[in-house]
Parts: sequence; structure tokens; C-alpha cells
Amino acid sequence: MSAVYVAVCLSELAIGSLLVIRLTLGPTTSDRLVALNTLATQSTLAVLFFAAFAQRTIYLDISLWLCSFSYLATIVWSRYLERGLL
Amino acid sequence: MTESIVIALLVTGLAFSLSGVVGILRMPDLYTRIQCSSKTITMGALPTLVALVVAEGPISVFGSRALIVAFLLVVVNPLSSHALARAAYKAGIPMWEGAVVDEPADRRRLAKASIEEDDDVLGH
Repeated sequence: MSAVYVAVCLSELAIGSLLVIRLTLGPTTSDRLVALNTLATQSTLAVLFFAAFAQRTIYLDISLWLCSFSYLATIVWSRYLERGLL
Repeated sequence: MTESIVIALLVTGLAFSLSGVVGILRMPDLYTRIQCSSKTITMGALPTLVALVVAEGPISVFGSRALIVAFLLVVVNPLSSHALARAAYKAGIPMWEGAVVDEPADRRRLAKASIEEDDDVLGH
């Protein structure tokens, strides 16, 4: 089963690396935010499956952290885009 | 048996993730990209997490964390996409020129027209 886990981890990373194109090209800041949000989701899954592959529970905290804090980053950025620094 | 279920779920999830990312790359404007990012990516992440739960068992260390991540994704992804789309619309980011419906703008135009009508009635 661990071979399956590392294959999933690598393919999530490969799928996420396609998003770097949108992250660099993106005409507006919001396009970059969409790409960044999706990249955070993909890397959450990649870290989770890497934790299952390596049988290390310490990496699970990283995936939970990524999942919850990327959301906060998106909320804060959209607040900033909507009404400025306040 | 378990292994084949896990692999089927993983293939489904990865296919949805790949199609979501291709959508984000190829869609013509921001709002359609947000649609790909919220729906298709969540649908791609959930079967992958369910596969980990099926493989490890729901009360194991990894399976329980996968359930927590799935819950967070379901709650949080629509919220952040909604906030982002709202902020982008208010900041005036244009839609694709082939877009056919813009309901807030229609409503604003209607409200403006009715106010002008009232002014005409009051003025004369």
C-alpha cells in the first residue's frame, strides 16, 4: 500500500505544479489567489499521503495547518481586495 | 477487495483534480476559474481522502486526520471561493465578453431606471 501512497503524493505534486503556470501568468491578483488556494489543497493532500507513506504522524499537523490556514489567507486577501487595508 | 476500492477512489479523485487544474489553466475569466477551483477541486479531494479512510480505517491515526481534512475542505472551500468571487466582483474585475448573465448589474440598472421615473413624476 505504501507504493500507492507515494504515487498519489507525487501525482498530486505534479498536478499542483501545473498551477504554477496560472500563478505566474494570472492577469489579476485574484487569479493568482485562485491558483494559490488550489495549490494549498493539493499540497494538503500530498503531505497527508506522504505522512501515510512514511508512517510519520508529525506530518499530519502540517497538512491540517495547510488546510485551515490557506483558507484564512484567502479570506484576508479578499477582504483586502474588497475594501483596502482596513 | 479493499485495495481495489481504494485504487478506484484514488483514480477518480486524481482525475477530478487533474480536470480541475486544467480548467483553472484554460478557462477564460476569473469567475469560471473560481468555479473550477471550488467544485472540481473539492470533488477531487474528497474521494482521495475517503480512499485513505478506507485503506487505514476511520479510527486509525491517518484515517481520522483524513476525515478532519475532508470536513475542513467541505466547510472552508466554498466559503473562501465565495469571498474571493465577491471581492473580485466588487473590485470590478471584468467578466468574459461571452458572458450572458450579470444579475447584480441588471438589478442596479432597474433600480436606477425606476428612480429616474419617480423623478419625472415628481418634477412635472
